Amino acid sequence: MSAMLLNKEKWPEFIGKLTGKNLWAPKLEGEAMRFAPVAEDEVPELTDGNTRIPPKNIVFPQTETMYRFQLGDFEMKEPELKEEMILLGIRPCDARAMVIVDKLFSWDVDDPYYLKRRELVTLVGLACSEPGLNCFCTSLGGGPASTEGLDLLMVDLGDSYLLETITPKGEALVSEVSELLIEADTEKIKMKKKMVSESEGKIKRSVDHKGIPEGLPGLWEDPLWKSVSASCLGCGTCTYLCPTCHCFDIQDETEGFEARRCRMWDSCMFEEYTLHTSGHNPRPTRRERTRNRINHKYNYYVDKFDVIACVGCGRCINLCPVNIDIVEILRQVKEAL
Amino acid sequence: MDLEQLRKTAAEVVVREDVKYLIGWKQGSYGYRVAPVFVEDASGAAELLFSPLCTANLATYLTLVEKTPLPRGQEADKRKVALLVKGCDSRAVTQLIVEHGINRDQVIVVGCPCPGVVDTEKLAEKYPEQGKPAEVEWNGENFVLLCDDKETELPRDQFLAEKCRLCRHPNPVISDITVGEPVEPWTLADDNGVEEIEGKNLEERQAYWEEQFSKCIRCYSCRNVCPLCYCQDCILDRLNPTWVNRAVNFSENTAFNIARAFHLAGRCIECGECERVCPANIPLGKLNRKMAREVRDKYGFEPGVDPEAEPFQASFKPDDPEDFIL
Ligand code: SF4
Ligand code: SF4
Ligand code: SF4
Ligand code: SF4
Ligand code: SF4
Repeated sequence: MSAMLLNKEKWPEFIGKLTGKNLWAPKLEGEAMRFAPVAEDEVPELTDGNTRIPPKNIVFPQTETMYRFQLGDFEMKEPELKEEMILLGIRPCDARAMVIVDKLFSWDVDDPYYLKRRELVTLVGLACSEPGLNCFCTSLGGGPASTEGLDLLMVDLGDSYLLETITPKGEALVSEVSELLIEADTEKIKMKKKMVSESEGKIKRSVDHKGIPEGLPGLWEDPLWKSVSASCLGCGTCTYLCPTCHCFDIQDETEGFEARRCRMWDSCMFEEYTLHTSGHNPRPTRRERTRNRINHKYNYYVDKFDVIACVGCGRCINLCPVNIDIVEILRQVKEAL
Repeated sequence: MDLEQLRKTAAEVVVREDVKYLIGWKQGSYGYRVAPVFVEDASGAAELLFSPLCTANLATYLTLVEKTPLPRGQEADKRKVALLVKGCDSRAVTQLIVEHGINRDQVIVVGCPCPGVVDTEKLAEKYPEQGKPAEVEWNGENFVLLCDDKETELPRDQFLAEKCRLCRHPNPVISDITVGEPVEPWTLADDNGVEEIEGKNLEERQAYWEEQFSKCIRCYSCRNVCPLCYCQDCILDRLNPTWVNRAVNFSENTAFNIARAFHLAGRCIECGECERVCPANIPLGKLNRKMAREVRDKYGFEPGVDPEAEPFQASFKPDDPEDFIL
């Protein structure tokens, strides 16, 4: 690991060196920020706050073409994934989320699409100096400067960025821009520590999850599920915008004689998610679906992969149209234990 | 608004034997959020709230009830549902009655005359949301933000929600019990809310909507929150045949958004909920408002104001204009 310093005056040059390399950065579209490709002559500004749409679609696209075929012909054409990319300004929680989701996609069978994309992407993180209102990453093993999953971490020190390399991919990126960087001295490292602890102090929400994974099965029939889900609309917001949600459906789509098999995001909050062909639905109401969302994150995933499948990014809280708040649900769960 | 009176009325309604529950608003978990609440007993009524933050249209819950098969020997709960409504929300209830989506005698409408709600996004832009829930009140002319023991007056013309700027029915058009005094309908904004779109030529419109629809993530929040999107068998969920592919791209997103706009023509009551909930900030209000303007100007029809009306899309008159038919 090395720590280098990039003076902000050199920012446009730094970006200039990366734009030819399929660089993506947060971009404001309307009022909704999401990751978008950076054009050749564009210099993105990194602002406070996380993207509204998580970067998970970079490695797990909302619609992934698995292969194409012609109707009446059995030859399948698989798309070739080979273009490397750089994701600049990903927040620590979203990088941690990828590490969590990796476990699923490399579990019983290796998922070639996901894993290939993961291999091709370099994650350049940005430590959070102004955590959002509903961030609670520190409760779940992360933090505003957590490096888990990142190749390189940038820390905003006012007039410069501190660049900490974490993996060989990060080293490689730094070596390509090395003439713009200088070695960071202990003073700067101290500044970083101060900024990080201040930032942690700004996180207002927290979840005490001790006992929750083991306790959830015992609360299966608890009345709390009905009350916390009563107003739920059963939309895709909380799951589609969650960086760790990874459910998908596979469907064939045709256009004339062209056909393709795609994998697309699905959501356990949708009614048809568990609908059987017989018409029976084992999760018939939003009560069961909400219970599943919480259990999947805070119980099943822990059981299987030994980690909570929530990184505390707060998106599901920020964007639920009816103020269903996972921190509040977990508080009630804890109370009911 | 006299909250005491609201809570007292609600408590009286909810204890009635023929009432299942009352749906209202309560303070949310932080910032400017307000959450829908299902009140089942008199004590629950103490949580109820009616303030300029109560934007949500609760009428959607009338049709969102999941009907699961009843265990053998169990009778269906046929009790009524009581509902707090603002002016716009009451239009949704009326429209549902017109369409036979609900039975008039199954709902108790508790009308809350509404002086207009705030645009919480604009509010949060100027006064960032905080962890602690804040309150906003009406003070006659304007809104007042109560936060950290501080009172800040919010000029009405700056913070009024777009849907309210164009609202013609601030007093509930239908109600069994009214809480509070009727409000004086205000002078409407002199634009029609879609001038920006109407000023564009065909190519510009195409480009505009292409950009907007490309952002859609197909979370279906807009559909699910809409009180008038309640088809049991929605065209979007159909797999056999698949009318709209699940793939997320401009073409399918457009098919979805246009299908929804057409299905709501002459039915949308302009409550603005779809636009409020869209996580991609797609200006859905413009789309639905444009359709509503067309229906009103061409056919002189306004949905959700008369429970005795015939549904627009099912009513043909020989002199209906058909100049758009090629
Ligand atoms: S975002 Fe809210 S309303 Fe939508 S499914 Fe999730 S909890 Fe329910
Ligand atoms: S469950 Fe909510 S807070 Fe947790 S990772 Fe998902 S969106 Fe973020
Ligand atoms: S949850 Fe933590 S890492 Fe994520 S945006 Fe908030 S402060 Fe940053
Ligand atoms: S709410 Fe917005 S993003 Fe979601 S489906 Fe509707 S238009 Fe698309
Ligand atoms: S389309 Fe939008 S504005 Fe119209 S009734 Fe539905 S939610 Fe309200």
